[in-house]
Amino acid sequence: MNEILLSSEVIVYLLSEAVLYLLLFIAAIATLGILKGWNFDRFTKRQFDLENRSYLVMSIIFFVLGLKMLLLPYFAYTIDALSLLVPGAMCAAGVIDANDYGSPLLLLKIIILFLSGLWLGINRLDLEEKHYPYMKLKSWFYLLLFVLLSVEMVLDILYFSHIETTNPVSCCSVIFGEIGGNSLPFGLDIPKLLILFYLLYALLVLMLFTGHYLVRIAASLFFAMIAYYSVVYFFGTYIYELPTHRCPFCMLQAEYHYVGYLLWGVLFSGTFLAIESAVMEGIFGRDALKLKKISIGLLTLFVLLCSSYVGLYYLKNGVLL
Amino acid sequence: MLSRSPFLYFLTLLLFKQKSKHLGIMSISVVMIALVSAVLFISSSLQKTLQDTLDEQADFTVTRIEAGRPVSTPLAWVDKIIEIEGVSEVAPRIHGRYFYAPGEESFLVVGIDFFDEQGSKALQSLLKGIDLKQFFAEESMIVGEGVKDFLQKHYYKDTFSFKTPRGEFKKVKIDEVLPGSLNLLANDMIIMPIGLAREIFGLKEDEVTDITFNVPNDAEWDNVIGKLHLVDYEIRVVEKREVEKAYENLYNYKGGIFLILYIIALLTLMLILYQRYAMVYSHERKEIGILRAVGWSIRDILKLKFYETLILVISSFVIGTVAAYGYVFVLGAPVLIEIFLGGANLENQVQLIPEVSFGTLGSLFLLYAVPFFAAVLIPSWRVAVIPPKEAMR
Repeated sequence: MNEILLSSEVIVYLLSEAVLYLLLFIAAIATLGILKGWNFDRFTKRQFDLENRSYLVMSIIFFVLGLKMLLLPYFAYTIDALSLLVPGAMCAAGVIDANDYGSPLLLLKIIILFLSGLWLGINRLDLEEKHYPYMKLKSWFYLLLFVLLSVEMVLDILYFSHIETTNPVSCCSVIFGEIGGNSLPFGLDIPKLLILFYLLYALLVLMLFTGHYLVRIAASLFFAMIAYYSVVYFFGTYIYELPTHRCPFCMLQAEYHYVGYLLWGVLFSGTFLAIESAVMEGIFGRDALKLKKISIGLLTLFVLLCSSYVGLYYLKNGVLL
Repeated sequence: MLSRSPFLYFLTLLLFKQKSKHLGIMSISVVMIALVSAVLFISSSLQKTLQDTLDEQADFTVTRIEAGRPVSTPLAWVDKIIEIEGVSEVAPRIHGRYFYAPGEESFLVVGIDFFDEQGSKALQSLLKGIDLKQFFAEESMIVGEGVKDFLQKHYYKDTFSFKTPRGEFKKVKIDEVLPGSLNLLANDMIIMPIGLAREIFGLKEDEVTDITFNVPNDAEWDNVIGKLHLVDYEIRVVEKREVEKAYENLYNYKGGIFLILYIIALLTLMLILYQRYAMVYSHERKEIGILRAVGWSIRDILKLKFYETLILVISSFVIGTVAAYGYVFVLGAPVLIEIFLGGANLENQVQLIPEVSFGTLGSLFLLYAVPFFAAVLIPSWRVAVIPPKEAMR
């Protein structure tokens, strides 16, 4: 049997995912029934049952999505723990690249978390009204999510059962470093990247106060991307205090006080709330002041956290890397 | 503060009022969580101890093989290895298992040159505390705790007689006992001067079993391996990294097999929970009906049930893990530890070092909380949506 599948973290992870998927499956079947027979204006027993059933769907999704938020960092922790078993891997970066399923799986997980956050937002709106106006929308939305979640489940199993423990994988310094011939996209260099990083942050904060919702969404996505590159290629080197160490995963380890979980978590939730506020205001015409406030707070925290590593390094050593 | 939130006040009141209803589930859950925590605690503690011990070992060990069959290593290799750049603390060793027929047990005899610098830091610090003058006054050895106890039982108080291949007896004095913290690896170990070990195993003057050394700069490791293979084509190199992985796999294997079997128990627990709460909640119909009649919505009932479960899960999780902690690190995990140490040659007394990481606790919580909530979700929904009129009938 594959040694990877005997690691206790992998067993716990796959078991949790499987149990949650079972619940999601029940919810998907209930949703199909709701979509087929839903008519709020009717006073039949069937409609009454469907309304009750929608509560089941809602509580399942609420519960599962809440746990998925915990499972994403746990997934990162699991593959980090596996780096001991996979030859050549020194952190999660090597393990994620151990087969072709890893990177799509991680991307899919993040997309699912984004979409399910939006689902929860729509659900909240739906419950505030008396006659469930968004029931059809959120049901179709959930079915789309369910398709993605099914793909995720399949990828989970494929990924963990196909990690080879005999073939060496690349270490993060090869994947992200100069040896691998990797460079920044769009022909950027480090100074331009940093200018773009701070400008986009300013743009995003400005956009949060204007009504250009599409620009706000575009700015958030672009900021998330540039922030990712800035952390990997610039701020990360200050976290590791080593100019050649470029890796988005090593900062999840204990040597760096697990700061990666905080950093990526803050970036992720800040960007998500900015997008959610745009959707709430643009599509549903709701007031999203609270979301915007939290979003600005989180994004600012992210920028300050990144910059403080550089600042502290300069204060301590008197030079920049 | 609690009484300021009417909802929480009501919730705690409800829980205390209906203690007996949750007591059965609580006790089963606590036992389940304590069992699995104990296993994971033992395995992570042993892994930690091994890691610490391995950290102190020499980086490389080389031996000679003839077409895959291990044979004795020529001492001349030592000089060749010293000449490789970046290599330090090269030390020849003689080791092997000495079978003691009357007791049907074997000891791991390790012969080292006491005047060489040792690659293993554990040996280095050990040798520092020894009075060499007295040690070499007569033929002596240092033994592990397991060996010491075994020899005591077989009436070898101060000395032990080895049988050499030449048919002679070799009397060796027991000089010192290795510290108990090394028991995981050194329980059945005997350390002695290399010349004495050579005599006991019947090796020639220019032969040893292997050579250990360090390469302090780990970026040079792969380079050094390449150069070692140029020394002799019959050389076999064992890296510390490989040994680490092998041990990691061993304990993963034992813990993993346990967890896979445990999943069956967990599924049974889910089924019990589902049945039990379906029954408990059907008795609560009237109560829920009254709450609905006084204006609670379906969401409020679901919230109440969710918090009720959350309190149960968290309290049983805390009680279970604390109990497991006590069992493993205070009592030393009687019975269960045999799964991990089983097959030991000499009876081993391993001191478990407390080692609980957030990762382990997170794994335990997920393993336990996800199935628990999943099992209770559907029964609580079922009771929450019963129309109040029907419920109170």
